[in-house]
Amino acid sequence: MSGVDLIGVTKVFGHVRALDDVNLQITSGEMVALLGPSGCGKTTLLRSVAGLERPTAGRILIGGRDVTSVPTRDRPIGMVFQSYALFPNLTVRQNIAFPLEVRHRPAAEVKARVDELLELVRLVPQADRYPNQVSGGQAQRCALGRALAPSPAVLLLDEPLSALDALVRTRLRDEIRRVQQLVKTTAIYVTHDQSEAMAIADRVAVMNHGKIEQVARPPELYESPATHFSATFVGSRNALELPVVSGRLVLGGAFDVPAPAGATDRAVAFFRPEDVEVTANGQGHPATLEVKIFLGSTTRLHLLTEVDGRQARFYADMPSRQALAYEPGAKLAVRIDPADVKTFALE
Amino acid sequence: MTATTATSPGRTREPLRPARIGQTIMFVGLFTYFTLPMVAVFLYSIATRWTAHILPDGYTLDWWVSAFTDQAVIGAFGSTLVLATLTATLDILVVVPAAYWSRVRNPRIRTIVELSAAIPFALPYLVIGFGLLQFSGIVAPALQGTFPLLVLGHAAIAFPFLYWAVDGAMAAAGIERLSEAAETCGGSPAQIVRRVVLPNIKPGVVTGGLLAFATSFGEFAMVQTIARGVYTVPIWSAEAIRSYSGESGSFNRLAAVTMVNFVVLFALSAAVVYFNRGQTVRLLPGARSIEQREQG
Repeated sequence: MSGVDLIGVTKVFGHVRALDDVNLQITSGEMVALLGPSGCGKTTLLRSVAGLERPTAGRILIGGRDVTSVPTRDRPIGMVFQSYALFPNLTVRQNIAFPLEVRHRPAAEVKARVDELLELVRLVPQADRYPNQVSGGQAQRCALGRALAPSPAVLLLDEPLSALDALVRTRLRDEIRRVQQLVKTTAIYVTHDQSEAMAIADRVAVMNHGKIEQVARPPELYESPATHFSATFVGSRNALELPVVSGRLVLGGAFDVPAPAGATDRAVAFFRPEDVEVTANGQGHPATLEVKIFLGSTTRLHLLTEVDGRQARFYADMPSRQALAYEPGAKLAVRIDPADVKTFALE
Repeated sequence: MTATTATSPGRTREPLRPARIGQTIMFVGLFTYFTLPMVAVFLYSIATRWTAHILPDGYTLDWWVSAFTDQAVIGAFGSTLVLATLTATLDILVVVPAAYWSRVRNPRIRTIVELSAAIPFALPYLVIGFGLLQFSGIVAPALQGTFPLLVLGHAAIAFPFLYWAVDGAMAAAGIERLSEAAETCGGSPAQIVRRVVLPNIKPGVVTGGLLAFATSFGEFAMVQTIARGVYTVPIWSAEAIRSYSGESGSFNRLAAVTMVNFVVLFALSAAVVYFNRGQTVRLLPGARSIEQREQG
C-alpha cells in the first residue's frame, strides 16, 4: 500500500518541454486518470513513473521512497501498454508467470500466484493459448494479470483500451476498475477519452502542454472546470465568444452573467447542452432549429442564433419525447440559468 | 450432374484462356532456363563420354568416387565449411547485439550500420579484399594472408544479409516494445535478451546466418586476394579449369564437385525460404521502410 508523489517533474526533449514542473500526489489505493490530447505529456509522465523516461528535473516517490534514479526493473510497478506488448513466444500462463520467474520466486509459489491471477482476470480457459490465439480484450486482460503478478505498489496503464473496439472497451474498462479495487493497488491511467477517464478514475488530472491544468473528482470536474482548457476538453460544452459590456456577458434574453476577472474586451461563455432551456414561444433569446440528432433517450438540437451581429451555433439536449414537438426550421427561444454558465477570459 | 458440368460454357473454356497459357509457357521457360544447366552438369558428372550425341554415351559413378576420395577436394570442402561456419558465427555474435542496441538504446548508430551494409554492394569484393590487405598491412602485418583475416573479410561482406534479416525480424516482433514490457516486469538485460529478444527473432537470425554462410561458401575473389594459401571449393574449381591439360575425367570431377556445391547452396536457400514462411521479401534492402509505410 503506497502512494505516488510527483514533485516538480520536468522533461525536456530538445527544446520541447514535454513535462513542465508537474506536481501530483496520489494516495494509496487511488486511481488517477491523466487526461489530455495527444502530445500533452501524459504518456511521458507515466513513462517517467515507470522509469522508461528519465526526468530532466524533479523527483518521483513511490511509497515515500525516491525512485527517480532507480532503474525500471527495480521499481515496484506493473505496466499495461496500449499495444498489449505480450511476449508472443510465451503462453498466457507463461506471460503472467514471467515477472515472477525473473525474480526467481520458487516454482510452487509462481504456480499458485499465476492460478490466482488467471482466475482474477478470467482467463483460466485461455491459459495455455499463445497471444496470437486470443482476442484483443483477452490479450489486454492477460497484460493486466502480468502487470499485477508481482503485486506492484503502482499499476500503470497507458491507454489500455485504445486498440479495442467500442463494445469490448467499456466492458474491459469496468473490469480493470473491478480488479484494481479488489487488489487495492494504486493506479495511474492514461487516456485521451474524457468519458473513460471520468468513468474509471477516483480523480482526473487534466493535462495540457506538459502541465496539469486541474485535478478533481469526476463530478466536480464535470460541474466546475477550473480552466478554459478543462472546460473545452471535458464534457461536450457549448462555447460562445461574447463581448464584455460594462463588466457583463450577455446573450440576448438567454443569460446575463458577470464577466470573468481580467476580461476586458471579449470572453468565452461555456454552458452544457442539457442546461439549455428551449421553448417554442416563451421568453429568451431567439434561435432557429437547424438539425435534430436522435441519441436515444435524448435528442440534440443544433441551434443557429445571432451573437454580436454574427451567426453562432450551439447545441441543446432535451428528452426525445419533448423534442418531437419541434421540426427543423422552427423559431425557438432559449434561456440558460446563469448558475450553469462558466466564463473564462480569452487566452 | 455430369451433364450440367459438361455443358457449362465457363468450365469447358477456362483451361484455354490465353493468360493461363501465357503463364504456363513463361513458367516452363524459366524453369528450363534455370534447371537445364544443372541437369547438364549433373549428366556430365556421371557420363563416361559425352561428345557425339544429345545424351551421354554411357554412365558411371567413377568421377564422383575419384573426386570425393581426392584429398585436395576433401580438404577444400573442409576448409570451406569451417570458413563459412566461422563467418556466420562471427556475424551473428556481432550483428545481433548491434541491431538490438541500435533499436533499443541508440538509433543514431543505425546510419553507420546501414551505410556499411551498403559497401559490399557498392564495391567489388576484389577491391574490398585489396583494401583489407592494405589496411591489415598497416595495423596487423602478422594477420596478412592468414585464415583469420579471411574470416574477418568474409564477415564484412556477408553481414548485410544477416543485418537485414535480423533487423526485419526485430521490426516485425516490435522488439522495442517487448523490451520495455520485459523491463517493467523486472527483467534484467540478460534475462530480456535470452527470454524475450532471441526467441522472437530466431527466424531472422537463422535466415541471416544461412545467408552469411552461403555468401562465404561460394566466395572466390576475396579468398584469392587476402589468403592465397587457403584452399576452398571455389579455388579448387578455378584451378581445375586453369590447369586442364586434356587428361580424361578432370572436367567430370569438376562437374561432380560443382553439383555438390550447388546442392548445398540450394538447400540453404530452401531453408531460408522455409524459415521466413513467404516473407523472404523482408530480406531485401529497403524492405523495412516499405513495412513502416504500410503500418503507418
